Amino acid sequence: MTVLTSTTALAQAPSILDVGDGVVLPILLKVALVLGLFFVVPLVGGYLEHKVMGRMQNRRGPVEAGPFGSLQLVADGIKFIQKEDIIPRAADKPMFALAPGLALVPALLVFLVIPLGPGVFAVDLELGLFYALAITSISVLGILLGGWASANKFSLIGGLRAGAQLIAYELPLIITAITVAVMAGTLSLVGIVEAQANFTLPGLEGFNLWFVFPQIVGFAIFFVAAMAELSRPPFDMPIGDSELVFGYMTEYTGIKFAMFLLTEYAGMITMSALMVVLFLGGWQILPGVATPGCEGAAGIMSCDPIGIAISVLVTLAKIMGLVFLMVWARVAYPRLREDQLQRISWLVLVPLSLANLAFVTILTVVL
Amino acid sequence: MTGLDVVFVLVGLLTAAGAVLTVTSKNLVHAALALAVTLAGIAGVFLVLHADFLALVQLVVYVGAVAVLFLFGLMLTRAPIGREALDSQNRGLALAVSGGLFVVLSTLIVLAFGDVRVDAMTGPGIDVIGIAIFAVWVLPFELLSMLLLAALIGAIVLARREDGESGEEAEVTRIEVGDPPINESDGPPAEVAGDGQAELPAGSGGGGQA
Amino acid sequence: MAQTSLPGTGLLKGLAVTVKHLFKRPATLMYPYERNELAPRTRGVIALMDENCTVCMLCARECPDWCIYIDSHKETVPPAKEGGRARTRNVLDRFAIDFSLCMYCGICVEVCPFDALWWSPEFEYSEYTMDALLHEKDKLREWADTVPPPPALDEGAEAPAEVTEAIAKAEKELEAAAQKEADKAAAAEAATTEAKAGGSGPKKADEPKVAAGEIDQETYDALIAEGKSERIARSKAKAAYVKKEKARLKAEADAGGGDAEAAPTPKAADIKVEAGQIDQETYDALIAEGKTERMARAKAKAAWVKKEKARLAAEAESAAGAGAPAGEEAEPPSPTDAAGSDQAPSTDAPAEEPAATRKLGDVHVEGTGEIDQETYDALIAEGKSERIARAKAKAAWVKKAKQAKLDEEGGA
Repeated sequence: MTVLTSTTALAQAPSILDVGDGVVLPILLKVALVLGLFFVVPLVGGYLEHKVMGRMQNRRGPVEAGPFGSLQLVADGIKFIQKEDIIPRAADKPMFALAPGLALVPALLVFLVIPLGPGVFAVDLELGLFYALAITSISVLGILLGGWASANKFSLIGGLRAGAQLIAYELPLIITAITVAVMAGTLSLVGIVEAQANFTLPGLEGFNLWFVFPQIVGFAIFFVAAMAELSRPPFDMPIGDSELVFGYMTEYTGIKFAMFLLTEYAGMITMSALMVVLFLGGWQILPGVATPGCEGAAGIMSCDPIGIAISVLVTLAKIMGLVFLMVWARVAYPRLREDQLQRISWLVLVPLSLANLAFVTILTVVL
Repeated sequence: MTGLDVVFVLVGLLTAAGAVLTVTSKNLVHAALALAVTLAGIAGVFLVLHADFLALVQLVVYVGAVAVLFLFGLMLTRAPIGREALDSQNRGLALAVSGGLFVVLSTLIVLAFGDVRVDAMTGPGIDVIGIAIFAVWVLPFELLSMLLLAALIGAIVLARREDGESGEEAEVTRIEVGDPPINESDGPPAEVAGDGQAELPAGSGGGGQA
Repeated sequence: MAQTSLPGTGLLKGLAVTVKHLFKRPATLMYPYERNELAPRTRGVIALMDENCTVCMLCARECPDWCIYIDSHKETVPPAKEGGRARTRNVLDRFAIDFSLCMYCGICVEVCPFDALWWSPEFEYSEYTMDALLHEKDKLREWADTVPPPPALDEGAEAPAEVTEAIAKAEKELEAAAQKEADKAAAAEAATTEAKAGGSGPKKADEPKVAAGEIDQETYDALIAEGKSERIARSKAKAAYVKKEKARLKAEADAGGGDAEAAPTPKAADIKVEAGQIDQETYDALIAEGKTERMARAKAKAAWVKKEKARLAAEAESAAGAGAPAGEEAEPPSPTDAAGSDQAPSTDAPAEEPAATRKLGDVHVEGTGEIDQETYDALIAEGKSERIARAKAKAAWVKKAKQAKLDEEGGA
C-alpha cells in the first residue's frame, strides 16, 4: 500500500533537465547548497579520518591548523594550490590534465540527487538511485586515463588495478541497490527514504524498521563494495604504496593531486550518503520516531525550518558515522592482495548479492 | 528554436566530433576516449529527448562499462604512449562499410518515421518501459539475452584457442598436478610434451607445482 | 588456535583492538610546548673543546662523510732542555663540522685521543639553509659547555689521571722553589761552617691519613643553601671535611711531638691536597673575562691546588722554624731540578743564554683562542669579513704575547 502511494507520488517527479516552473532563485540556491556541501562535507569527513585514525594509532592527528587542527585540510588545499604542477615529459599532456577532472566531476554530480532532509536536495529524480550509480561508474574513466597518461609503469598498473577493481565491485553494489529498490518499490532516493519510514515486516505491523534490519546482508555487501569502489583501505591495491608507489596518482602533483584526493573524500561522503538513504532511513531519527516539527507521511515530510534543520543534522550525523566505520576498517585491517580482492568480489559478493536479490524479489512478489 | 534544441544541436555536434575523432585518431587510447565521448554524447541526446532511463543505461553500460573495458583491454595489451601509429591500412574498406551502413540505416529510419512528428517532449516513465520490456516484448528480450550469452561464450571459446582446433599447435610446458618433479636422471621431459593434448585443469589457479 | 570460533571473529577482534586505542591517551608529546626529559648523554650535536685539540686529524680522516674541516699551522716550540731540539707544534686555525653531511655516527668522538670532541645533548640547531649548518670552531666550542660533567667517581676511587698529573706538576714546581731556598741557605751556611756529610734527609712527615668519604655537614648545608647542586655540594663538603680533618690531625701532631724532635719540614710534594676544590677568586675572574664555565672551573681548580699547596708549605715552614735548615743536606743546585719547572725559566735558567739570541718563533705562548681586540676592530672597520678579522686578530694576539714574553725574558 505504501509502495503504491510512493509510486503515484513519483509520477510527478521531474526529469533531469526539468528546471521547475521558471523559478530561478531556488535552483541557484540549491546549486549553491550542493556546491557548498560538496566542498565542506568531504573536508569534515577528511578531518574525521585524520583525527580518528590518529587516535586509533595512539597519535593526536592534526592539532596546529585551526582549533584542534580542524582546518588542516584547508591548509593542505592551499598548499596544493601553491605547488608546482609537474607534468612528466613522456606523459600524454591533454589526457594527463583531463583525468583528475574526469574523476572529480562525477563525484560532484552525484551530490545533485542526494537528499539530506525533506526538501533539502537539488533534484528528486524518478531515477535518482540509478542516476547516482550511473554517474559514479564514470569516475573510473578518469582513473584509468590518469594511470595511462602518466607514462609510468606504476601508474599504469595502478590504473589497471583500479579499473579491474571498480568493474568487479560495481556489480554487487548495483545488484544490492536494486534489491533495496525492489523493497522500496521506487528508484527515487526520497521515495526510498519515505518507503523506509513506512516499512514494516509482515506479521510485525506497527513496528517500523529501516532496510538495514531485514537487509543486513545487503548492507554488508554494499558497505564492502563501496569501500572497494572508493579504493579505500583495506581495498587500496590501486595505490598500494608498498608495491606501486602511489598507483595512478604517482605522477600527479599540486592541484591535480588534490583533485584526486578530493574525489576520494567526496566519494566517501556520497557512498555514505547513499547507504544512509538506502539502509539507514535517511533523515529519520530512529525507526518509528517522527521528527519534531514535521508532518506528513510517517512524520518525516513537510517540515518547518527547525524540523528541516534537525533532519539535515541527523543525515549528516549518520553519514559521519559511516565515514567513521570506514576509517575504523581502514585502521584495523591490512591491505588485501589483488587476487584476494577479485576473489571476494566474484566468488562471494556477486553470488551473495544475486541470491539476496532473488530472495527479496520472490518475497516481494509472494507477499 | 527552444533552449532544448540548442542543447540538442550542441550535444549532437559533440557526438559527431567524438565519432570522427574515434576513427581518425592515430593513438588508440585517444580513439577509445573519443569513443567514450561519443557514447556519452548519445546519452546526452537521449536526455534531451526526455529518455532519462535510456540515457542513464547508456551511461552505465557504454561509458561506465564498455568504454572502460576498451581502455582496460588496450592498456593490458598494447597501449602506446606517444606517436606510435597503429594502422591496419584498411581505410577504403572501412569507409565503404561505414558509408553503406549509414545509408542503409538512415534510409530505414526515414522510411519508418519520416512522417511522424513528435510534439510532446515527455518520455515514458520507467514503469511503462518495464511493462513494455518484461510483459509485451518479453520473448524478444529473452532471445536477445540468449544471443548475448552465446556471443560471450563464443568469444571465450575463440580466445581460448584449444590446441588442435585452430591450426598451430602451441608448445605447452606445464606441469600437471601430481607429476613427479623432473630430474636430470629421469631423462628429458618427453612426458610433459605429450601431455600438451590433455584438457586444461579446471580453474587456472589449480595448476600447482608438483 | 581457536578452532571453535565463528568465522569473522578475527575481524571483530581487529576492530576491538583499534577502538580500544581510540580512547587511550595519545603517546604524542607536544614537542615545542612540552619537552622530553632527555638522557643526560643524549647525542644531539658534536661539540669541540678546541683547547684539547692537537690537530692530529684522526677525526677528519675517520669521518665517513668527510664533514670535518680542519686547518692549522705549525709553530716552533723552544727546546725544553738547553741544547735540545726545537719542537714544532700544531695550532688549530679552523675546525668546522658540516652538519648537513654529518650522519651522527660518533666515530670522530670515539677516535679523538685528547677528549677534544664530545657529544652534546643540544639538538635544536636547525637552519633555514643547508650551508648554515656548517658550524665553525666557536659555535662548536659553545656547545662544549653544554656537555654534562662526567659522572661522580665512586667513593674512595683514585683521583683521575689528569688531576693527579696536574697536582704532581704543581708539586714539582713548589719542590723546586723550596729546594732553591734550601740551597741558598745551605750555601750561606757552607761559607761559615764545614758542610756536614751524611746528614739524614728530611723525614717524610707522618702524613695524617684521613679517610675520604665523610662529608663536612656544615659546608654541605651552606652550599645547598647557596643553591648549589647536590653533587657539587657533596664533593665540596667532602673536600672540606678532608681539609679540616688534616688540619686537626696536624695540629695534634704538632702539639704532641713539638719538643721531642724538630718538626719535619714538609716538602711540597708531601702535602696532599684534595683535588676538586676550586679557587673561587680565579673562577670569578675567568667568568668575568667571558671564559666558558668549564674552562673557568678547570683553571680555578688548578689555581686552588697551587695556592693550597703554597699555603700549606708556608705554614709548615714557619712551624718548623729556623732550626730546620740544619737538617738539610747541602747540595749543589741540580739542573734536573731546575728543568723540572718549565714555567719559571727566568730564575732557574740563569743568564747563560743571552736573551737577545732568542727569536720570536722560539717563544711558546699558551692559548690560541684569544684575539687581539684592537686588530680585530680595525680589520672589521676596514670591511674585512668577520672570519678573516678573527683569524688575523688571533695571530696578532699571539705575536703580541710572544713579544711580551721575550721582553720579559730580556728584562730578566
